[in-house]
Amino acid sequence: MAERSFAHEVQKLRAGQGEVFKGEGILAITKALLQSGVSYVGGYQGSPISHLMDVLNDAQEILGELGVHFEANGSEATAAAMLSASINYPLRGAVTWKSTVGTNVASDALSNLASSGVTGGAMVIVGEDYGEGSSIMQERTYAFAMKAQMWLIDPRPNLPSIVDMVEKGFALSEASNTPLFFMMRIRGCHVTGEFFAKDNQPPAFSDRNPVFPNREAEKIILPPNVYEQEREKIAERLPAALKFIREHQLNEFFPGKFEQLGIVVQGGVYNTVIRALQRQGLANAFGDSDIPIYVMNVAYPLVPEELVTFCRDKQQVLVLEEGQPEYVEQGIHTILRRNGVDTRVYGKDIMPMAGEYTGQVMLHGLTRFLQAARLPGVELPLDLAAVEALRTPLTEDDRLTLMDNVPPRPSGLCTGCPERPLFSALKQVQKELGPFHISSDIGCHSFATLAPFNLGNTIMGYGLSLASSSGIRHTLPHKSISIMGDGGFWHNGLTSGVTSAVFNKHDGLLIIVDNGYAAATGGQDIPSLVEPNKIIATTIDADRAGRDDQQPIDEACRGAGVKWIRTVSTYSVDTMKDTLREALTTEEKGLKVIIAEGECMLNRQRRIKPLMKQSISSGKRTLRARFMVDSETCTGDHACIRISGCPSLTIKPNPDPLRKDPVSYVDNSCVGCGVCGANAHAAILCPSFSRVDLIYNPSRWDRTVAGVRQRVIGWFQARGERKDRAQVL
Amino acid sequence: MSQKTINMVIAALGGEGGGVLSNWLIDVADREGWMCQSTSLAGVAQRTGATIYYLELFPRSAITDGRLPVMSLFPAQGDIDIAVASEVAEAGRMVQRGFVTPDRTTLIASDHRVYGITEKQHLSDGIIDADRLRDVAQRYARNYVHYDMQALASEHNTVISAILFGTIAGAEVLPFSRGSFEATIQATGKAVKANLAAFEASYQRARQGGVETFEPVHVTPSQESGFQLPPARSGHGRELLSHIERFPSSCHEVLYQAVLKLVDYQDAAYAAQYLDMLQPVFEADSGDNDHDLTRETARYLVLWMCFEDIPRVAQFKTRATRMDKVREEVRAEPDQLFNVTEFFRPRVEEVCAMLPAGLGRRVQDSPICNRLIGMFSGGKRLRTNTVSVYVMLRLLAACRRWRRASLGYQHEHAMIRRWLDAVIGAASTDPALAREVAELGRLVKGYGDTRLRTTGQVGVMLTRLQGEAECSAETLRQWRESALADDEGEAFRRQLAA
Repeated sequence: MAERSFAHEVQKLRAGQGEVFKGEGILAITKALLQSGVSYVGGYQGSPISHLMDVLNDAQEILGELGVHFEANGSEATAAAMLSASINYPLRGAVTWKSTVGTNVASDALSNLASSGVTGGAMVIVGEDYGEGSSIMQERTYAFAMKAQMWLIDPRPNLPSIVDMVEKGFALSEASNTPLFFMMRIRGCHVTGEFFAKDNQPPAFSDRNPVFPNREAEKIILPPNVYEQEREKIAERLPAALKFIREHQLNEFFPGKFEQLGIVVQGGVYNTVIRALQRQGLANAFGDSDIPIYVMNVAYPLVPEELVTFCRDKQQVLVLEEGQPEYVEQGIHTILRRNGVDTRVYGKDIMPMAGEYTGQVMLHGLTRFLQAARLPGVELPLDLAAVEALRTPLTEDDRLTLMDNVPPRPSGLCTGCPERPLFSALKQVQKELGPFHISSDIGCHSFATLAPFNLGNTIMGYGLSLASSSGIRHTLPHKSISIMGDGGFWHNGLTSGVTSAVFNKHDGLLIIVDNGYAAATGGQDIPSLVEPNKIIATTIDADRAGRDDQQPIDEACRGAGVKWIRTVSTYSVDTMKDTLREALTTEEKGLKVIIAEGECMLNRQRRIKPLMKQSISSGKRTLRARFMVDSETCTGDHACIRISGCPSLTIKPNPDPLRKDPVSYVDNSCVGCGVCGANAHAAILCPSFSRVDLIYNPSRWDRTVAGVRQRVIGWFQARGERKDRAQVL
Repeated sequence: MSQKTINMVIAALGGEGGGVLSNWLIDVADREGWMCQSTSLAGVAQRTGATIYYLELFPRSAITDGRLPVMSLFPAQGDIDIAVASEVAEAGRMVQRGFVTPDRTTLIASDHRVYGITEKQHLSDGIIDADRLRDVAQRYARNYVHYDMQALASEHNTVISAILFGTIAGAEVLPFSRGSFEATIQATGKAVKANLAAFEASYQRARQGGVETFEPVHVTPSQESGFQLPPARSGHGRELLSHIERFPSSCHEVLYQAVLKLVDYQDAAYAAQYLDMLQPVFEADSGDNDHDLTRETARYLVLWMCFEDIPRVAQFKTRATRMDKVREEVRAEPDQLFNVTEFFRPRVEEVCAMLPAGLGRRVQDSPICNRLIGMFSGGKRLRTNTVSVYVMLRLLAACRRWRRASLGYQHEHAMIRRWLDAVIGAASTDPALAREVAELGRLVKGYGDTRLRTTGQVGVMLTRLQGEAECSAETLRQWRESALADDEGEAFRRQLAA
């Protein structure tokens, strides 16, 4: 069960011809896929397209009605290989992933797919995670599209354009026998809007209407076919694509009165250009621009005829291409020169090479272009100096004040996260045996590399931590330590990591953080389950709906030849410390695997909260645990925070007028996981932590016992108070 | 080109309902015949971080030929009409990023704090100055609507996004009627009554014009608090208070609080001893800054003298007022029953510190005794609301009667003596240095390893101070600050070696 449920929203996918569909970009894409008659869909979650996977997952009933096959693939490579269904048959299919990381994982299958060519439309919807808010290294999918010759669609970020381009994209893929990328930027994935729906199309082939097995030997990736396929790419598929793009007007020309100028832009950044033009008084709210604009909704391939037509009679053209290298700009230069067009082309000479084209960046670049163009009779509302001043209105003093007083907010583990006690334990063991070199991985646990844990040296990719320990392990003063999530383990870690390590007699430690879900991407289900944890303080629990087909991690490791495997609940900090110590000091050779188990607290709370509410309102005796800090015994050193970082463990002003340092404080969001207490014990912190079990609907026995205790303790307390009064000043 | 979009940016922290707030605003716009395009950097992976939502609004009435307006997906510097922040530091971040400009931006932000990790993990006090943020925000926003929205949310048992919603309505920055906002809340069908009440309250708060006129506070409390010593109500009180009166009035509040604490900690004689120990500091004090040397030494001296040994902790845990404090802290209902479990882990050292000095030392040095006590120390979970645990803790608390003879007392007072002598010694020659030596007292805190580290560092600095002919206040300040840089003592070692 994913973090965000679309169960309600997917009903919109049933909208028929002419109905207005309102919603998020992700949902619109799903609707467009159904309108295009896809036969199969798949993918691997990751921001910004996690929600696309969630929508597909929640829409299984609707998909089933139409006969659309869905798979939550094991990795992007699996998803890409799925597209091979379109090689021999006119099946339309779409898969999705986060790019460029997912594209890298998928690249083997994608390259082969692109070489074979497709019969049915094959589409990869990539969430281009580039720029502000991105969580990965910064690269472009564009490069892959070029080298493998897959087309790249980059539509204008409004719902009608997005939906239209999905439909046309399938047709383009089929017309040119080429798979393609459909690129969505982060903000485009989450943009809301509306469009007129069409009826959903059931796929031509499905479990109801099977294909007849068809073998086309020339499409298999073996010599000499591959040489022929390479020739075909250039001689047949590319011309077919260019023809289709031109004839069906996938790219758009917007006229403007200043015909000596022009702007060439990829669809995805069109809205930002219009805003910049609006601010310079050169466009209205509806995008009518005084400067002609050529919008490339198909960013690859470039269409020479269209570019020549657009640029031929212009003096200056500005190419707006986000990211680097400037493939589009180089391509345009080549096309124009080959055709003898000597229009001056501006691009990365006035725009930044790296980074996102934000509103400010776009306004700045456009203003430079316009000032260079010196339009007759046009006075820009904002000259370059004014645009630069917009960057910040702050004086130097105020800038410094803000720098000192706006605290950074790095990502961190959630309240009650089962990974927190693991890293608390590891940090404590590091104090004894360290310092450590740790190979980290992708997932929530990568936040351990940040404050307050500061654990981890490298992140090489999803499920690659153990593999990335293999080159350094022989030089480390301690046994190598790799941390991997359960998601990463199933994605790649079992084969690239565990199997290879056992084969190479890797004498190190692998910690598999097993929380039962692909938690970082939004809590999607994965092959293995984690048992609900009875040891943690949260006192109500219900068994997670079990799956009889679950694939346990420890069995997989054993199967791969690991002998030393321990499964430890992360919340037992002392046991975890002992196990870590043992793994790092044992004489036993070979890979040591610790499965650090604890269910993702976000998912757990989603399950428990309604149960707790229901139990209390139905009058049942219910316990709810939470923690607190005694501000009288807290001395304000915050050691507890430095080994925890729990959002609910915070600070407040010291109630003691003599003390200046703020005291630690547990706020009301505490879920009672018990890590504070376990840490107070394990790290020998202080006597300030207490667990409070709140009793709802107490039994008669509860009341009786409480009454007796109150009388006895009350007598002592009254006596103490009399003494205190005697001491009054 | 006349009609433009209304541009709105919302900064919220993860889990604060920024997405819900955006959806509510889209719904209001829809009811009013406006289009609203929203987008976000939700970033599923960005747990607990700051999230930005961006909305643009455009009236459908301005659409003539069915063509939809082109709206931007990026908030741009200098192009924002309304900036909303769920917390004051996030308001500062909005200003920092250039999303708040004097010519057009209304800034709507809650005044409460959600501390960042850098503030929380500081070894002493890393809290940023929110007053300065408000001061900057006030000057850069066209209109700054702010109050403690979290407090109002708690009052109405709702979430901050509901309060922000009402405040946006009340600030009248959107051309929408109040009824549409309320209709949106009603349409959610969830917690409608609470959210409508919260809406009404926040709407009214925002309607009160400038909401809260902000005045930066720049006073040091001890000097201008107007503290008056209360009259004595007992014999020992008279003696102690009259001794306090012989100190300058700028020190009275601290000394009064100190004496109260010491009487509670031990007895009146201990408080008298404290004032006697402080007397030479006062006599050596040059009187700079209203005798802040005396005042601050007094502050750290009392905290040190009330060191947290086992009897002290037991005393705190058994106080009559404790359970009321717990009830308030965990927000239990007035008559709700609850159990309290304490997490103790006394070490052999703490147990020995309670014993008479001679015995304590012998026990500490004896491996057999060590192991024996070790069997009984270690992690303890004690239910303080049970009679047996309570009585045991009362007995431990009562042990404070013999505290003066204990090993811990002797140990702490030897350290205190060294520190005080250093303060007094420096006061006559270098008042600034003396003030820095006094400030070392602030480092002394914590339990177990933390206590060992902090007192150890103070000891090292005092030794260096004695050994070196010339040590400037600046050098000592750098040493002290390095001790607060990390809890491994890394920076401290480096700084002292430099």
